[in-house]
Amino acid sequence: MEGEALIKVDDVRHAFLSKTGEEEVLALDGINIDIARGEMVSLIGPSGCGKSTLLNVVGGMIAASQGHVLIGGTPVKGPRPKDVAYIFQESALLPWATILDNIKVSLEFQGVPRASRDKIARISLTAVGLDAFGDSYPHQLSGGMKQRAALARALSLRTDILLMDEPFAALDEQTRMIFSEDLSRLLANEHKTIVLVTHSLAEAVFLSDRIFVFTSRPGRIKAVLNVDEPHPRIPTFMTSSKFNDLRNRLYELLRDEVLAAIGKDRQGLA
Amino acid sequence: MSGASSAGQALTLRLSKSQKRLSLLVKIGVLVALLAIWHLVTVDEFVSPFFLPKPDEVLRVFFNIIVTGQAWPDLKVTLFEFALAGPIAVIAGGAVGFLISLTRYGTRAFEPIVSSVYAIPIIIFYPVSVMALGIGPESKIAHGALFGFFPMCLSTIQGFSRVDPLYIRLAHSTGASKSQLFWRIMLPAAAPTILTGVRLGLMLSFLAIIGGETIASLEGIGHRIVWYAEGMQTGNMFAYIVFVIMVAVLMNTALSFLEIRRGRQ
Amino acid sequence: MIAAPRKLPAPWVLRTFVVLILLLVWEIAGRHGSQLLFSPLSKVLTSGLQIFAEAEVLEALKTTAWILVVGFVLSVAIGLVLGLTVSMSRFTYQTFLPVLLLLYAIPQITVLPLFVLYFGSGPASKVAFGVSHGMFPIAVSVIAGVQGIKPLLVTSAISMGASRWQIFRRITLPYLTPSLFTGMRLASTATLLGVLLAELYVSAGGIGHLTRRFGENFQPDKLYALIAALSLMAILINETMRMLERRYSRWL
Repeated sequence: MEGEALIKVDDVRHAFLSKTGEEEVLALDGINIDIARGEMVSLIGPSGCGKSTLLNVVGGMIAASQGHVLIGGTPVKGPRPKDVAYIFQESALLPWATILDNIKVSLEFQGVPRASRDKIARISLTAVGLDAFGDSYPHQLSGGMKQRAALARALSLRTDILLMDEPFAALDEQTRMIFSEDLSRLLANEHKTIVLVTHSLAEAVFLSDRIFVFTSRPGRIKAVLNVDEPHPRIPTFMTSSKFNDLRNRLYELLRDEVLAAIGKDRQGLA
Repeated sequence: MSGASSAGQALTLRLSKSQKRLSLLVKIGVLVALLAIWHLVTVDEFVSPFFLPKPDEVLRVFFNIIVTGQAWPDLKVTLFEFALAGPIAVIAGGAVGFLISLTRYGTRAFEPIVSSVYAIPIIIFYPVSVMALGIGPESKIAHGALFGFFPMCLSTIQGFSRVDPLYIRLAHSTGASKSQLFWRIMLPAAAPTILTGVRLGLMLSFLAIIGGETIASLEGIGHRIVWYAEGMQTGNMFAYIVFVIMVAVLMNTALSFLEIRRGRQ
Repeated sequence: MIAAPRKLPAPWVLRTFVVLILLLVWEIAGRHGSQLLFSPLSKVLTSGLQIFAEAEVLEALKTTAWILVVGFVLSVAIGLVLGLTVSMSRFTYQTFLPVLLLLYAIPQITVLPLFVLYFGSGPASKVAFGVSHGMFPIAVSVIAGVQGIKPLLVTSAISMGASRWQIFRRITLPYLTPSLFTGMRLASTATLLGVLLAELYVSAGGIGHLTRRFGENFQPDKLYALIAALSLMAILINETMRMLERRYSRWL
């Protein structure tokens, strides 16, 4: 994989100012990750371990204090809307615009000529099964449908890379399961490179090719798990012993870190 | 980082220490610059002292007012008017608001009337006050009370009628009596909004009195400003304006303090 | 609380009934009170309303309406520019908002003589005083509106390559429209107050001046007719603005 990585995270370290603005907090330290084209990668770790920060460094939304990220061989120096699309925890849809208009505005942001916006937007709505809801407003849709709309928007941007920051966090259990299945199917067709930040062990195992487990703050990579299972993944994978073994290993790896993170919080409180 | 992302972060990030310092400097700088310009344009009477008196002149008169107590006779009249009008506004507004908010039906029937009337500039009733009560303190008291009545009334209605029904259900489920419900639940829950109404009612009442004195009066602190304005004594007028502004701001600060302290409980 | 018994009429019926009672009280009190100070509703409606045929009154109405419109438009423009300037960045917000609030806190009635000193006793000082009342509610509402924008919407737009102008045009502007309309409702009332105050003070034309003169000449029927008309106008403007406000905040 060396040399042909689409995303290369090279010795990234990041510190930020604490809330009082007086001390520096080290969020990420010594992060090296290579992600191949078409690969699906999860970042998992206790709250505050810097996994979202790393996602934002990759997306060019945050400049790392040290080290750098290369996408397609060129260093990331700011947002890269042609290469990278985001899906956030909340749908981040404009509440006053219809779903279709939301996607069209996004295409305008990305610099797509006006004439082709409508067609692209409709294609991506159809891809996620929301073609009947183009004229609906976000508040008329359920949480799951809003995230689906956010997915349609991300797909319409036609980027090689999709960064997902806990996209299922605000959804209920049933919706998340169905959404993950759909996601797996869709992404197998689209051939995108995906980085997913999640808290959910099952989601990480179900969707990823590789899982990066982070230590509690400062975030360092503790372990990497490989998931050898072809895409698209089907529901029966979730009940297989392979799935359960991976999930349990992930649980063991995380447990210590979560306890450590809680311990640090307690110290902070005392 | 690119320009676009720093623009977005400007909305979300805290100011760094150095930015905070700069912000304070700019604030002080603006004030100093204004004073400097004031001084520069008046020092050689580039702007006639009739339009803009010298700052040191204003300062001198202002201290004179404080030290000699020469504003006291006028301030006494205004404060007397306010001492009657303010409490009348707050008590009457609070009482009417409370009666309206006793039932949800009453709120739905009468809140629209109060909020509509609140949109009327009450100042147009001032000629009626003057016609009926003359240009003495009586017309100011009536006007001040009327002006302060509506914000107080509206805040009281809103305070009581927007109490979270969950609290009321909780009180009922624990078998609270009617008086317990009022003193323990309704009043504390409505207090922040009502206290805002008290502050607004009192401030508007005070300003309405000053306004009444400005428009038609023979005494009072508002009248004194007009008296100097008509006498072309701009320096004195400025000093008195500064004085009244300080009184009003002090009053507002004191009431806000009360509002914040009580509202937090 | 306690459920309302079913047989109560709709709230608006009671509301109308109470308003009618108040009008009736006006009529009766007007008939029995001093005719120098009071005037029954019937007389206000008959002889009082005739003032709207008088050229002088129409002229005053026209003057005030014109001043009001100019003052309001200027208030919106200046308030919008002020509000947007303050909300430009965290830095401008923390630096200039206190200055703006300090100015807003000044009891404006005290500086009315200054306005007359600088702008004369013609329409200019009335417009200026109206604007000094109207621009702050607009500015404060705009600032509150911009502050309410979800940071995630901006972050998301930046990630998609939006320029500063695009963020302003596609996110900031639509987002603050409801607050702008709230500000415009408050500003319309405030501008009217400022203009009337100036007219009552400088005594040179306009409705405010006319009310003062009717009062001083003890013409209660004319005075009450004028006040009633003005009140109705104020309520009408307020309700129209409220309607617009609701219309433009449907997505909230």
